[in-house]
Amino acid sequence: MSTPVPPAHAQPSMANAIRMIRVLGVVSLLCGVFIAGAHVTTLERIRHNHEVILRSSVAELLPGATREVIYGVEPSGELTILSDIEEGGSRFFAGYDASGKFLGVVVEASGRGYADVISAMYSYSPEKREITGFKVVDMKETPGLGSRIGTDPDFLANFKALDASLGHPITTVKHGTKKNPWEIDAISGATISSRAVGRMLEASASKMAPVIARNLNRIEQGN
Amino acid sequence: MSDPQPIPSCCGTAPPAPGGSNPFVNGLWKQNPVFVQVLGMCPTLAITNSVRNALAMGLATTFVLASSNTLISMVRKLVPKQVRIATYIAIIATSVTVVDYLVKAASISVYKALGPFIPLIVANCIILERAEGFASKKPVFASLLDGLGMGLGFAFALTCLGSVREILGAGTFLGVPLFGSHFEPWVLFLLPPGGFISLALWLVTFTTFRQIKARRAARAAAAAAETVPAGQLVEVRS
Repeated sequence: MSTPVPPAHAQPSMANAIRMIRVLGVVSLLCGVFIAGAHVTTLERIRHNHEVILRSSVAELLPGATREVIYGVEPSGELTILSDIEEGGSRFFAGYDASGKFLGVVVEASGRGYADVISAMYSYSPEKREITGFKVVDMKETPGLGSRIGTDPDFLANFKALDASLGHPITTVKHGTKKNPWEIDAISGATISSRAVGRMLEASASKMAPVIARNLNRIEQGN
Repeated sequence: MSDPQPIPSCCGTAPPAPGGSNPFVNGLWKQNPVFVQVLGMCPTLAITNSVRNALAMGLATTFVLASSNTLISMVRKLVPKQVRIATYIAIIATSVTVVDYLVKAASISVYKALGPFIPLIVANCIILERAEGFASKKPVFASLLDGLGMGLGFAFALTCLGSVREILGAGTFLGVPLFGSHFEPWVLFLLPPGGFISLALWLVTFTTFRQIKARRAARAAAAAAETVPAGQLVEVRS
């Protein structure tokens, strides 16, 4: 900005500088107060929104679940019950129906897709050692092509009973060539996104399934 | 991710801001930020792939424009000239941060869809342009009206683009399917080229409309002039 030099009758430059500092200081202080105020007032509501989204995804993947327990997985493989849905890290949700019967777990998985990280959730049945449902939570895949991993009914049918017993790695195969229960039939035209889904499920399941199997008694009781 | 430089006359036909007109209507229509001034193209092209995103972005920008204009107009006499831009940016950045929290509180899915474009409102050149060009010189109420007008004009333009892109690209409007299951969506319109194509179509529409109006006004003025010095005009015509 080509600010003109202050006219000659202006105060000495020191006083000018102090005035600038004062004005900027006061303005920044007020701005800080505003931002802090906005943060404090919206905090509870934002937390609530996150929780609603997570819980509704869990309920969608485990139909009939009326209660969830969130387990955090320690690096040592130990489980801890998390009370706050916001707590990050490695974790999964165990779902129980109204009578308290254990239905299965929902695990979060994410992996690099075609455009950006795809984050998703899947339900896993420790009893059948199968993935029983899959839902994309967030992605930036190409609309109409890669984005079909979240909507294509044929693709989602792969995850009704996907073998995750880890005898064979979960792999994505070319469209129309699925033969084995651990294979995912890719969407033609969205091979990269389909493969990304296969990779992230394999990575997540091979990490989480043993932890869940080890602690199954505890999870079934929900404590 | 930077917005184009603010060149108010970049579409050739933008008239200078008329001083006497209502600042609200001015922003909403006569000086529409997108269709007339062609400012803020980055969000305009990037997030208009659905009506919902376009509306959310438009309203977020409206909030920022209205609040920053009002605050800047309030402090305009207290701020030394040398630090005025720094002060404006601080105020604009505050408004943007507040909007960021508000959108997150309103809907996480909208927040995720808008991605980095909410924080980037701070770099939208309409905002600083209105601060420097209007709010720093005009009284508080007029500045508020100007901010609301410009913001809603921006929201209106984004919604126009969003409607075309969502209807053609997904066959829905605000998520409601418009056509039967036989409709094959024209996915191109959801992709970046679709943004450019629909922006071009809207700009052509608006410019043509304005030119027709200007030509009509010129003809009316000529006709009015004709009736007075009748003698001269007969010669011109022959």
